[in-house]
Amino acid sequence: MNEDVSREVEQFLYREARLLDKRRFREWLELLTEDVRYWMGSRSNRYPRSSKAIAILDPDRYVEDDLTQEGELAILEETKQTLSQRVARLDTGMAWAEDPPSRSRHLITNIEVEPGDAANEVKVYSNFMVYRSRAETEQDFYVGARRDLLRRVAGSWKIADRKIILDQNVLLAKNVSIFF
Amino acid sequence: MGEDPVLVVRDNAGQVRAFLNVCRHRGNRLCRAEAGNTATFTCAYHGWTYRNDGRLVGVPYLKEAYHNELDRERWGLASVAQLDNYKGLYFATFDPEAPTLREYLGEMTWYLDAFFDRREGGVEVIGGMHKWVMPCNWKFPAENFGGDAYHVPWSHLSAVKTAFSTGITTKPETTGSIVSPGNGHILICVGPNDVGDPPMPEILEYEKEIRPEVEKRLGPRSGRINPIVGTAFPNFSMLRATSRTFRVWHPRGPDNTEVWSWVFTDRTAPPHVKEAIRLAGIRGFSPSGTFEQDDMDNWQECTRTCRGVVSRRLAVNTQMGLGHERFDANLQAWASDFRMSESNHRQFYRRWAQLMTAESWAAVPRSNGWAGNGHTGHE
Repeated sequence: MNEDVSREVEQFLYREARLLDKRRFREWLELLTEDVRYWMGSRSNRYPRSSKAIAILDPDRYVEDDLTQEGELAILEETKQTLSQRVARLDTGMAWAEDPPSRSRHLITNIEVEPGDAANEVKVYSNFMVYRSRAETEQDFYVGARRDLLRRVAGSWKIADRKIILDQNVLLAKNVSIFF
Repeated sequence: MGEDPVLVVRDNAGQVRAFLNVCRHRGNRLCRAEAGNTATFTCAYHGWTYRNDGRLVGVPYLKEAYHNELDRERWGLASVAQLDNYKGLYFATFDPEAPTLREYLGEMTWYLDAFFDRREGGVEVIGGMHKWVMPCNWKFPAENFGGDAYHVPWSHLSAVKTAFSTGITTKPETTGSIVSPGNGHILICVGPNDVGDPPMPEILEYEKEIRPEVEKRLGPRSGRINPIVGTAFPNFSMLRATSRTFRVWHPRGPDNTEVWSWVFTDRTAPPHVKEAIRLAGIRGFSPSGTFEQDDMDNWQECTRTCRGVVSRRLAVNTQMGLGHERFDANLQAWASDFRMSESNHRQFYRRWAQLMTAESWAAVPRSNGWAGNGHTGHE
């Protein structure tokens, strides 16, 4: 991938992280395309097919993949409309899970940029560690990977698709009330 | 079940069974996966192997080390004492003296039907589930789902204002009642013409279409009352308004609750309705749920203040509607006179106190609908 594009994408993701940590959510929404799909799945606990702990009865139907599948329950599955509703909810002054607000820090690493299917698109892999501190002593770590589709719209990069994989089975944070 | 790990299987013969998920040799947790299919389970510690009907079939060095003196029939997996299902919902108990499931549910069965058997074929679960840990005592969500219509117009106003719900219990014209069919089971009901369904047009249209069929199937009670959320005592809760979910509140010590939550739809609902219900489940009641996240924050702080020696001794106020509930023969349940009341909080905690203090099941007072188990009469 062209070095300039990689650098641009990295800077885009860092700027996005800063907007989220500063709770500038309305500006963050502007970084998303109108047709954005924003999804967060979690992981389940499965034996690998090779495990000697079980005697698989029906190998053809055995599900080894531990990631939430399309069409199943996800932690988030949002459109621009519902993300905007979520941001509007935070602004009502009655969104108690964020009142007082979380203090988040998005650490974005392992950024890889690949050509997309269209000339104005790139596929981007990244890892994240998000620290959330709230009230006096609440703290949570959200760790996982993202796969983004970025699209250049009128000269600016926008997020057209974001797939977030949270590396937990039982989510140990009491909620997901911030964005990733 | 409670803090005990349980393994639920359908064995090779097709029978559903439930065992402690504990190897009988050293007490290791036997099965580590949350779903799958297998004929046997082999313990990761020393390799004891059990068939999916619970029988112990493999013990390494049985001849050399145990001299064939181990009675394998005695050391199969430990089964629950009673296992039964109501319309596909499986319940179990470790207590052989406990009443049967039908006795235990009593009149709650009709209310379960209003969630899980509204149409021919019943319901199905959308794939996947939500699992997370809430830092609160399990009784807070249990009482909230079964009786707290009062919190909605304040706790959830942000989600109602931003169109995540029809906000039925926030509207002054809404009717309904807080209803308990006995044995600690509790539900919030709105009136038959009050619409609390998830606010997607596909779902609202579908509900309108199937209503005559549902009323016919559920009978005359459905013309009087519309159960939208409830708790089957003690920790199984269900919801039809805003989202379609049922969940188990697993206690994890006094201060934490592990939620296992599913989203369900009528089996015969068309695909676009099922899809809308799936999305409503993700957006309304889940770790990211625009309703659920605000509840959790409040329950956490209710739990934390209970750590204080003095705070713990302080009486909380559950007097709302006291003396204004009555037994309604048409509903076969205790019912409040207004759509908000703490009558169900009182039902729930009275039941809890009875079970915590009774020496045996015979000493547990009966409430409405519980005529079995050697008892006669009603409370």
